[in-house]
Amino acid sequence: MSLLVYALLAGLFYGLYFALVGIGLNLIFGVMRIINLAHGAFLMLGAYGAFYLYTLLGWNPLWAVPIELVVFFLLALPIYYLLVPRLQRSDDPEMLSFILFFGLSQVIEALAVFAFGNDQHSIPDAVFGTRPLHLLGQVFPLSWVVSAGIGLAGIVAIYLYLYRSRIGRATRAIMTDRDEAVVTGISVNRVSVLAFGVGIASAALAGIFSPFMLGAIEPSMGLHITVMAFVIIVIGSLGNPLGTVLGGLIFGEALMLMQTFLTSWAQLFPYVLLIAILLVKPSGLLGRKVRSA
Amino acid sequence: MLRRSVMRSLLVAAALAASFAVWASPPSMIKIGTLYAGSGKFSQASTRQYDGLKYWAKEINAKGGVYVKAFDKKIPVKLVAYNDQSSTTLAASLYNRLITQDRVNLLVADYGSVLTSVAIPLARVHKVLLFDETGTSGKFFEPKDKNRYIVLTGLPTSSEWPKVLADFMQHVGIKKVAILYASNDWSGSQADTLNSTLKSLGVEVTFYESVPDSTSSYSTILRRIAATNPEAVAEFGYSTNDIAFLQNYASSGLHFKMMFVPNPALHFDVVRNAVGDAAIKNVYSYVAPPLIRYNKQVNFGPTLDRFEAAYTKAGGKNIDLSTVAGYNTGLIMGKALAEAPKFTQESLRDSIDTFSGKIFTLDGLFKVNAEGAQIGESLPVGQVLPTKKGLALLPVFPLKNAAAKYVYPQPANP
Repeated sequence: MSLLVYALLAGLFYGLYFALVGIGLNLIFGVMRIINLAHGAFLMLGAYGAFYLYTLLGWNPLWAVPIELVVFFLLALPIYYLLVPRLQRSDDPEMLSFILFFGLSQVIEALAVFAFGNDQHSIPDAVFGTRPLHLLGQVFPLSWVVSAGIGLAGIVAIYLYLYRSRIGRATRAIMTDRDEAVVTGISVNRVSVLAFGVGIASAALAGIFSPFMLGAIEPSMGLHITVMAFVIIVIGSLGNPLGTVLGGLIFGEALMLMQTFLTSWAQLFPYVLLIAILLVKPSGLLGRKVRSA
Repeated sequence: MLRRSVMRSLLVAAALAASFAVWASPPSMIKIGTLYAGSGKFSQASTRQYDGLKYWAKEINAKGGVYVKAFDKKIPVKLVAYNDQSSTTLAASLYNRLITQDRVNLLVADYGSVLTSVAIPLARVHKVLLFDETGTSGKFFEPKDKNRYIVLTGLPTSSEWPKVLADFMQHVGIKKVAILYASNDWSGSQADTLNSTLKSLGVEVTFYESVPDSTSSYSTILRRIAATNPEAVAEFGYSTNDIAFLQNYASSGLHFKMMFVPNPALHFDVVRNAVGDAAIKNVYSYVAPPLIRYNKQVNFGPTLDRFEAAYTKAGGKNIDLSTVAGYNTGLIMGKALAEAPKFTQESLRDSIDTFSGKIFTLDGLFKVNAEGAQIGESLPVGQVLPTKKGLALLPVFPLKNAAAKYVYPQPANP
């Protein structure tokens, strides 16, 4: 029983973090119909940013949060203007983006090897304090709580952006029907660049906490994380950022329960779940809602 | 049609084998073909291993080349190297390219068992001796295969690694052990040996399970292990696994009397920097060069101290086991060329038998069995202990090799 409670709570912490990992990828897809296969590469860069702020300046990773949000948002702007409008003019932007952003991820990885080397790095958990959190008779690393808390804060911020702001309404309008949004006078380019910036910044934000949740950081970690993020958003619903929260929670709980009770099969189950959901409900668990939003 | 294509393939293989068989006149240079992983999960260790080999080539060329007994002269060496990006698929085609197109004289495998595995059948079918630097899987050296075209130059086969560890556990009176391993051959063979050796010693193995290589969170697994009440926990995985495992253990609030992970022996600075001093202090691991130094026993090539000084002076990074393994492979190749009466792959292999067990390099005693497996070296047990220069991984067992007294039970994390 104790193991089950631990697994469920651990799954909750991980689920909130996984939701943060996936939400930027889904936002970009929802608005621009672009599959950003460089998502994990930006997360990797965010992780290195936190690592170097910690090792070179001794800064707590929490200080990296505002810095990286601004830096990566600004970094996303030229990337957007260089790549996305051209993609949108093509006959098949989804497929082309698949190839183009895969290429971008490889370029980022290669540059990261030059810049950071191949050694694995991490940030000690003790950076958030050595006293663990006691919850329902279980003990959890404080770094998990912080990571999950930041994940939750990120999700809430994106919810407020989408549902409580004028630009968010415009964003949802584009996600629902891009052509109708254009007809109603919404500046698709302005909304898209903002969503692209938020998506990349959220990836960097997740990267800051990846040493505590995903283990060591290294230049080649991006592709694996992109695949994981893709699974999370497909489980929730491709194109619905808030479906990602559900996808993240399911992914986190499934992973932790499997690690606890069927250790050797732990990495397999989330993907089996993905296949099952695609067969039973191809639009994802919240697929219908996104179209009626 | 099928028969004709089979015949054609056999003729091509025979022609290639012949091209490796005999050189009537000395070549202008000795071409050494190898691969390295410039990216991907093996890149860190692979590039360091390649750096070690490159340094040997540079050093030997500065002396006029490598002495080749078959021609009684020194001949410069040239490295032909390709980046396999940690991909076995790419590595297979690149090994093939080195053999069939570049016609290298000597073939050196990339780092580790995974990237070496694809070279073995190619080397065998083309009758090229493969210098295996760190591919320690026991499966490569099965007596039933009767493969004479492979020599493991450095570490012992991975199934041999935990034998001293099992002895240590018995020495300190451990009765219950949990074993967790990543599902790769290197980790699995160590876990398998430890499991069977402990059982033969009457030690109870309370937990014996594998996790996928990509596992990056161990907290729930640690809870399961704790539920079986082991005194010692041994985790076998790659360095990414060890880093996540140690971090999760440090923050778990759990305490075991002994915690063992393998990778501090291979990349101590990398693991230590990643997890921090608090998480690695008192942890047990193997000890391998450069963390153990056989300076007094070395009778072939430089001592580790001299190599380290020269290597870093030449601009190299801090040395680690991979660097030493790369350089050591160069030494063994040089010795084989210096001893082989003929410049053929078979003669090179036979010459290795003549000096096996007689030379002691900076990596330890070089001794191979009939299958080419390294049996001269053993890996002592070490523990991360405080020294005047900070934390260091020091040999603690066998007691005759000990540089420090082990701390058992391990104190709990602060």
